[in-house]
Amino acid sequence: MIKKESKTNLEIWSDKLTKIYGKGNEAIEAVSKIDLRVKPGIHGFLGPNGAGKTTTINMLVGAISITEGDAKIREKKAGTVAAKQLIGFLPQDPVFYEDMTGEEYLIYMGQLGGLQKKEARLKAQQLLDFFNLFEARNREIGTYSGGEKQKVGIAGSLIHDPKVLILDEPTANLDPIGRADVVQKIKELSDRVSVFVSSHILSEIEQMCEDVTMIDNGKIVISDSISNIKKSFISNLYILDTNMNEKLVDKLKDKDFISKARIDDLDGKIHIIPKDAEKLRDILPQMLLENKAKLYSFHQPELSLQDIFMEIMTKKRGNKK
Amino acid sequence: MKNNIVNTEGKIKSSFKKLNLKVIQPVKIWLSKNIFKRTAIIIKKTFQDIYSLKKIIITLIVILILPLIYVLLPTTVDFGLISPNHAATIISFALIFPAFFWTLGLVYTIIIGTSGAPLIAEEVKSGTMLLLVSKPISRIKIFIGKYIAVYLYGMLLSFFSIFVIGWVGVFVKSGNIDHFISLIPFLTALYIYSLFILFLFTSITMAFSSIFKKARSASILIIFIAIFSYIAFLLIRSLTGQFYVTFQLYHFDLGYHLGNVFIFFIETLDAVPPSLSWQTAFAMLTGVYTYENLVDPDQNINLGGLEKTNYYFPVFSLIIWILIAALLLVFGILRLNKREISV
Repeated sequence: MIKKESKTNLEIWSDKLTKIYGKGNEAIEAVSKIDLRVKPGIHGFLGPNGAGKTTTINMLVGAISITEGDAKIREKKAGTVAAKQLIGFLPQDPVFYEDMTGEEYLIYMGQLGGLQKKEARLKAQQLLDFFNLFEARNREIGTYSGGEKQKVGIAGSLIHDPKVLILDEPTANLDPIGRADVVQKIKELSDRVSVFVSSHILSEIEQMCEDVTMIDNGKIVISDSISNIKKSFISNLYILDTNMNEKLVDKLKDKDFISKARIDDLDGKIHIIPKDAEKLRDILPQMLLENKAKLYSFHQPELSLQDIFMEIMTKKRGNKK
Repeated sequence: MKNNIVNTEGKIKSSFKKLNLKVIQPVKIWLSKNIFKRTAIIIKKTFQDIYSLKKIIITLIVILILPLIYVLLPTTVDFGLISPNHAATIISFALIFPAFFWTLGLVYTIIIGTSGAPLIAEEVKSGTMLLLVSKPISRIKIFIGKYIAVYLYGMLLSFFSIFVIGWVGVFVKSGNIDHFISLIPFLTALYIYSLFILFLFTSITMAFSSIFKKARSASILIIFIAIFSYIAFLLIRSLTGQFYVTFQLYHFDLGYHLGNVFIFFIETLDAVPPSLSWQTAFAMLTGVYTYENLVDPDQNINLGGLEKTNYYFPVFSLIIWILIAALLLVFGILRLNKREISV
């Protein structure tokens, strides 16, 4: 159990938070005994699709019931009106009242949050301005682009001045420009509100967050600040770049001393996690010669969150086997 | 003495002022902030969603079809020669059955059902409910807000429907405004009955909307209940004859209970005098009347109109269905409170 005095400083706290769907033999444990500790700032909530991120968030905002355990938002029991007054929430793939204009939607959300109409209108206009949507305020939300919809959604969750913003995959389904725009706005918001943001796009989380919690199969895998996590993981990643990466990656995958080898989407180079690094270094020159490959670079970089996550997952799943 | 009175008055005034400042004002502010405000926002939004002028106009046209057929039936009465009360009675004879069966019956209940059914089911399915329940408003208030919006819409619809059928009845028969004024007690009885049936069908609709995943399933079930109540039991009653009475099927016959309550309001408000001309239709459709003439047993005089079946005291029918409606309302709230909202 966490000490009372430290609990009071937390934005989100949970103790053995569990969600079980179904009963008896058909019961599925979607979230299993999660202990969340979310401090002020931006906190990333990571995990692959189906890991239990959305289920956890839905319990925190009171959309679904908690099967076992407890969760609190700044000491208010999650799901109560008092706790909901403290949070702003944007679900994954949010659906809006498409026939409302951006301004009407924000005023409606503000009034539901307890604001008077005048106050809600003023706040709506400020938020529309902040999110660069002022020109679009009188357009129906149905005509908004994906990025504009996400931004009006975040504005709607902010309008009643919550203390904690909970965003579930806010950049999913956005194009790169929309994604960068939303990430930038979330970073700007961190001055006035704590943010708990889930994503499976780890590079974005790395840009935004100080702390992260990773979950897989409904269980927390790791939870700490990004810098601590990076320190605790000695880099076991090697990056190889040649003139025939695609050919070499297939050959590397077949080697028994290689844990994982893949071509990275961003840099197009081969990212290798060896089981035996020494052997990799010994074999590589010979392999390049045999394949008549030109070596551009081979180095051991600082680990990215993506790499750490992949390593954790690989180990975890390897252990299971 | 005078000073004492003035002092006492002053003390009372200052105590009242203190009470007002310390208790009444804070309670008023708390009530307006916490109980009504957010519910009122839901009511307004929901009302805007279900209300459209086009829909109201189309509904009024449909609602008018059967009453218009009845008032267009030829009559030998010369409306120029009779008193306004007499004229209103004859017009109410023509309107009473279509008003019960059609205007405030089949069409009205189906419209309420189809308007209310999507309000929760559709919002949950589409995902907008997820945004709503994460806001600092309890689910009870969300449900009550939507419920009140449907009720207000129904009140508005029945008000215009009753006004329109009353006006059309008078217009076709005589066109005399005095006849319309004399028709007001009858129209009032219809309106009070509409508040009852609205309560019942709003509760059914909203409870179904809370239970079902698809709005269409809820709508279809409500349409089925409406048709079953107004038409199917008519067949069951006619085909089964004594079987209906022996096995006390009237307990489950919503059409009978609705007729019983309707006649209760008509009789209590003395809105339409008894007459075979309209009671026969009720005898056939609802089973509230027998086909026997109402006779004073002491003097053996035909009192005009038909004998009632009296399976239930009308007040019992009224209370039972109000209780059922209230239970459905509570059930709907509890169901929404427990419902898992996710997309």
